This record gives sequence, C-alpha cells and structure tokens, in this order.
Amino acid sequence: MNDFVLIRKNLFRKKLRAVLMIVSILVAFAIFGVLASFERAFDAGEDVAHADRLVVVNKINFTQPLPVAYANRIRGIDGVAQLTHANWFGGYFQDPKNFLIVFAVDPENYMDLYSDDLDFPAEARRAFVRDRSGAMVGETLARKRGWKVGDHIPISSQIFSQKNGARTWDFTIDGIFSSRRMHVDTNFMIFQYDYFDETRSFAKDMIGWIVLRTASPSMNDQVAKAVDKMFANSSYETSTDTEKAFNKAFAAQLGNIALIVELVVGAAFATILMIVGNSMVMAVRERTREIGVLKTLGFTGARVLRLVLGESVLLALLGGIPGLLVALVVIWMMRDSLSNFVPGMTITPGIALAAVALMIGLGIVTGLVPALNAFRLRIATALGRG
Amino acid sequence: MRSLLLQVAAVTMINIKSIPRRFWLSLSTVVSIALVVVVLLAFLAMANGFQRTLSGTGSDDIAVVLRGGSRSEINSVVLRDQVHLVEEAPGVARGPDGKPLVSAELYLTIDGIKRSSGTKANLPLRGIGPEGAAIRKDIRLIQGRMFSPGSNELVVGKAILTQFQGFELGSTVVSGSTRWTVVGIFDADGSVFDSEIWADLAVVQSLFKRLNSFQTVRLRLESPAAITALKSYVENDPRLKLDAKSEAAYYADQSSFTSDLIQKLGWPLAIAMALGALAGALNTMYSSVASRASEIATLRAIGFGGFSAFVGTIVESLMLAAVGGLIGAVVTFLLFDGLTTSTLGASFTQVVFSFKLSPALIAQGVLLALAVGAIGGLFPALRAARMPIVAGLSE
Repeated sequence: MNDFVLIRKNLFRKKLRAVLMIVSILVAFAIFGVLASFERAFDAGEDVAHADRLVVVNKINFTQPLPVAYANRIRGIDGVAQLTHANWFGGYFQDPKNFLIVFAVDPENYMDLYSDDLDFPAEARRAFVRDRSGAMVGETLARKRGWKVGDHIPISSQIFSQKNGARTWDFTIDGIFSSRRMHVDTNFMIFQYDYFDETRSFAKDMIGWIVLRTASPSMNDQVAKAVDKMFANSSYETSTDTEKAFNKAFAAQLGNIALIVELVVGAAFATILMIVGNSMVMAVRERTREIGVLKTLGFTGARVLRLVLGESVLLALLGGIPGLLVALVVIWMMRDSLSNFVPGMTITPGIALAAVALMIGLGIVTGLVPALNAFRLRIATALGRG
Repeated sequence: MRSLLLQVAAVTMINIKSIPRRFWLSLSTVVSIALVVVVLLAFLAMANGFQRTLSGTGSDDIAVVLRGGSRSEINSVVLRDQVHLVEEAPGVARGPDGKPLVSAELYLTIDGIKRSSGTKANLPLRGIGPEGAAIRKDIRLIQGRMFSPGSNELVVGKAILTQFQGFELGSTVVSGSTRWTVVGIFDADGSVFDSEIWADLAVVQSLFKRLNSFQTVRLRLESPAAITALKSYVENDPRLKLDAKSEAAYYADQSSFTSDLIQKLGWPLAIAMALGALAGALNTMYSSVASRASEIATLRAIGFGGFSAFVGTIVESLMLAAVGGLIGAVVTFLLFDGLTTSTLGASFTQVVFSFKLSPALIAQGVLLALAVGAIGGLFPALRAARMPIVAGLSE
C-alpha cells in the first residue's frame, strides 16, 4: 500500500463530506474560470493591439468625423508605412434591435493593414475590391445570421440615409473572412467607402477614423506628434494614440470590470477557504488515534505531514479541475450572446495554469494547520485520547 | 399537541445552545452565506441604481422625436424643415405667447477625463435653445448662471463634476480647437441630465458644422395622451418618417439593456456561489447531527419524537442562514449603497449613477440565504429524525 492509496482512502472515508467539499471547490473554480476568461477577453483589446499601430481620431471625441483628405496627407508623413480609414455605419438588419457592427472602409488598404489579424481569402478579396456594392462578412457574423457568399443582404443604418431617402443599403456578400488570432473576433462586416460616400445624403467626404502602421514602434511618438501638429488649429484637430492606449481607454469607459471580477472571485475563494479549511481540521482531528497508530508503526512526522497535505491538495484538484471543465462548458454556451461584448472568450493556458496554482495553494493552505497538528502529535497523547 | 411543541422548543434550544461547540464550522457557514448575499445585492444595487437614474429622467408630457430607426439621440438626425413640420404637429402644447413649446437639440460627444481611471471618456454635449431649459421641469442652477446665447459658455450637470476632471465653475474646457468657459452648475435631481453638459444651440451648431441639422426635437405635450396623435403624425407624413416617444418611455428603453445585463450577471454568479455555500451548510449541519447523535438518541429513548429532532436541525440551519443573510445585507449597505460610478449608456456617453439598495432587494438577498439554509438543513434534519436509537447510543 503506497502513500497515495492511503491519501485517497482517508479523503473518501466520509464520502458525503468529501463530495460536498469537492462541490464547493468546483463551484469556486468554475466562477474563477468564467470570470478570469471574461476579464481576459474584455481587456484583450490591449493585448491584441499591435505595437506599431496608431489610431487617429478627431480631437473632440472619436465619434466626431475627420475629412477624408486627411488620409492622403498623413500617408506622406515620414515613418508611416501603411494607412487605412473606416467609418461607423450604425447598422442593423431588418429591425433596429438587430444591431450589427458595420464599417465603410477603403477596401484594399483595409485588408492590407489588417492582414495580420484577419484572413481574407485571395479570391474573395479580388471580388470585393471590384464590386462597388459588395460586402465582406466576418465568419462569426455570417454563422450567426446564416449568410453565405453570393447572398444579397439589406442592411439599414440608424444614422445615415441614402440620397433618395432610403435608410437601407443592399449588399452582395463577396466573401467571408476569418480570424487569425485569439481575441480577434469576426462579428462584423465591411463594405466600400466610395459607394457609401456617393450614396449617403450627408457628411460627404468625411470619415470616422484613421488607422496607420508606423515603420517601427520606435517611431510612434514622432509620427503621432507630426500628425497632430499637421492639423493643429484647423477646424478638425486630431488626436493620435497607439492602438493599445486607444483600446484601453475604450474599455475603461464601461467601468472597472477588473475590480468587479477580483471582488467576486475573492468572495468565492474566501468561502471555500473557510469551508474546506474547517472541514480538514475536523477530519484530521477525528483521526487522531489512527495517526498515533501510524506513528507507532514507524511513520515519521514528516511523512504524516505529507499524507495530510497530499489529502488536501488532492481534494482541491478533484474539485478544481472539473470546475475548470464546467467553466469551459459555460463559456462555450455563452459564446454567441457575448461575442459583441467580449469576443474570443476562452480559458487561455495562462488562466488554466493560474487555476492549477490556486488549487495547489488552496490545498496547502487548507491542509497546513491539520498537517502541522498531525506532525506534532505525540503517540502517547494520540492513543490516550478518545 | 402542547407536548409536541414543548419537545420541539426544547430540542431547538439544545441545538442552538450547542452551536458554540461547532463555532468555526458554523461561522464559516454564516460567512459564506453572507458573501453570497453581498455578491447578489451588490449587483442588484448596481442595476437598480442605474435604472433609477434613467427612469428618474423624463416625464410623460414631454415627447422626444427621433429619426425613424435611431434608437438613441446620438444616432438621430432631424433636419430644419422637419423641425418646422413638428412644430405644427397635433398635441404640441403652446406657451402663453402662442408659440409651440418645441426645442430642437443637438447631442454630441466630447472627451472628458474620468477621475477613476485617468482615461478619456465620452461626455454628452447638448446644444439647446432658450426653450430647452424651459421645457424641462426639474432643472435648478445651483452655482453660477445660465450660458448666454451666442457665447462659448457651458453649464454642467452636477454629476459630471464628481466623476470627471476639469469642469469646476469658472474653469476653461478645451475641446478640439474650441475653448469653453463653465459658467454654471445645474442639478437635475439625480436624472441622466446630471451627466450632461449644455451649451447654446447656435454656438454648437456652428462649431460642429451642423447648421441645418439637429438630432432630436423635444416638445411639451398638451397632455400625456397626446403622444398617440403625435406619433401617428410624425411616422406617417412622408416628409418626416420620424419616431416619437414620451421622454419617460425613451429613458426606460435606454435603461433596459444595461440594467438587464447587470442583473443577468448578478443572479447566475450569486446562484453559483450559493451552491458552494450550500455544500458548506450541508456539511455543517451533518456534522451538527453527527456530533449530537447520542443526545438525539437519548431524547428519543426518553420519549421525544423524531419530528422534534427534525425541526431542531432545520431551525438551527435557518438561523445560521438568516444571520448570514442579514450580515450580508448590512455589509452591502455599508460598502456599496450610495457608491457613485459611471458607465457607457445606450447613447454611447457616460451615465453617472449610484448603487442603490432597496427593501425589496434586501428581501431577495435574505430569501436566497434562507433557501440555502432550508435546503442545507433539510437532509441533515431527515437523518436526525430517522436515526435509530440504538445506533445513536452506541457511538
């Protein structure tokens, strides 16, 4: 009989108690898995941002427009390697409640600049560039709506109207693009800016924002300053930031999600620390005589200590690992409903590692007091008691 | 009957008096239930506070007219000609001078710096004419004065001051190439307007190059019922194709998404945590029954019924849960009630709101705690009631 068998038998001596402990640990780790993945995906904007990308927006606020002519003027600035622009369309499908993320873009530049993040099939790319009223739809969005290449889709705008008064544009799906990186979601679609600008009834020659790639991240500051200086004192001043800073500020607008997540996870762990810690102390105290017998048989104090710690760590792992699996299932079920909000939510290897570390930590903390008690226990006391 | 009650009372007292023997285990049940209640109530108080801010905004006799299909002011576009048509719409109240009480407004977003994070956030800048402030009822200037027409002056809602930097009375606000001076602070009674910045409509129109367009039209209705007539008029006239809603309905719509989302996050989290706490409560109560096995058996042997053992155990569990629930409610009240924060509202601008607990929410929290206590006590209580006398005495 090796020590592991002993640990296992001890743990399940009172089956009901062991199962209850496992359930409470499972719940805590399920909460941890879901919330940590949520936070990670929510903050992913900062991680997926490329170090050499800058975002140029109107200095008043990023929802205010910029003249389209800025794109060419900025392209001429020293250190700008690539550049594209985009426009928020305020799209919806049939009913304003079916809100869609739709951008009017400069097709070739856009697909070039985002080719690290998104995979535009070569054939679809060629078709889209040629097709004035064409659209490229992200894989997630196409799956949600059941759209296929060649479909004609009417997309309405909450903001813009056509010159003839219509609020709906008809597009042909030229292709479907997919994601190349985790946390880069494809729940959106793009169409041609030229077509948009020609047909809409107001805001002609205006765009939403410009994204550019610098020749190297070390030139970011220099390029950002040059852009903002170029348009200083004009009627459309600009504010240029790294993509990372822009995404971070955007996420912070919703509130301190990280703090909320930490508080809830903290509460969940405080609960199991108390429940499991107390139960372990109780379980070991009930076995005082047996520990005395083990020591009489020649088990050293250190070995008894290892046995108790092994039991509490095993308990934490038996609850924690299924808890992570439960979290995976929950995340998978929530995926579609949360994809607008937190794209690409998943348990990353980092989260899984942190969880296992927490399990071992939990096992050691909850086992420490009873393990030390068992370590110190003198045979005479143990056998005399009870 | 009387003897049964006496039995139950006696056993319950024994149970409660023996709690100190299981002090740490009982305490962990109380604390874990309290934590469940804190998590639930904090989320519900957040949702409730947000909803109260929005539902406290707007009245039934003011209508908001938007472009059809635009669900929020920020997206809407209404042209000057359309405003004139709306002024002639049925149901529009008129002032003593016979002029319609109509305010065409611009609603734009400017950057402010959020105090808590130091990052840029979207703040609403509303361009209003002289009718704008008159139409709204519950607006009071608490510092300074109203902006004067044609000048770069701002009046700022009081909630903006608490959450964002640089809007104190007299300060200069630079937005793009424009410099504004804050000349007044207003109190809108805890409504969304407290999170807004107002300036003269004509100035905003020219600075933002929107000379001929507005975003929304607000108007005073002759009576709340007049909304129906207004609605059909603005929807059906081919020159308009606009949506009209009472201001109260507009803000109620705006609150539903965010407060639903917060509640949808809060309840599942609290229920998951309650399952964890339930496992703890069951464990505590089974230990309680086990530790009293010989007592229970003794009582049975001298003629007490199984029912008294059952009730005694359930009551002990409910008591622990109730104490946990109440501690949770008090802690939530102390830590979170009145906490002010801001988030993005449906118009894509910051809405400042405060966490708000209510007796109804506290009742939900305590009920969840009692549910954990009841289920956590039930199975151990059944075991106590069914325990064979011999087995109990032999331990």
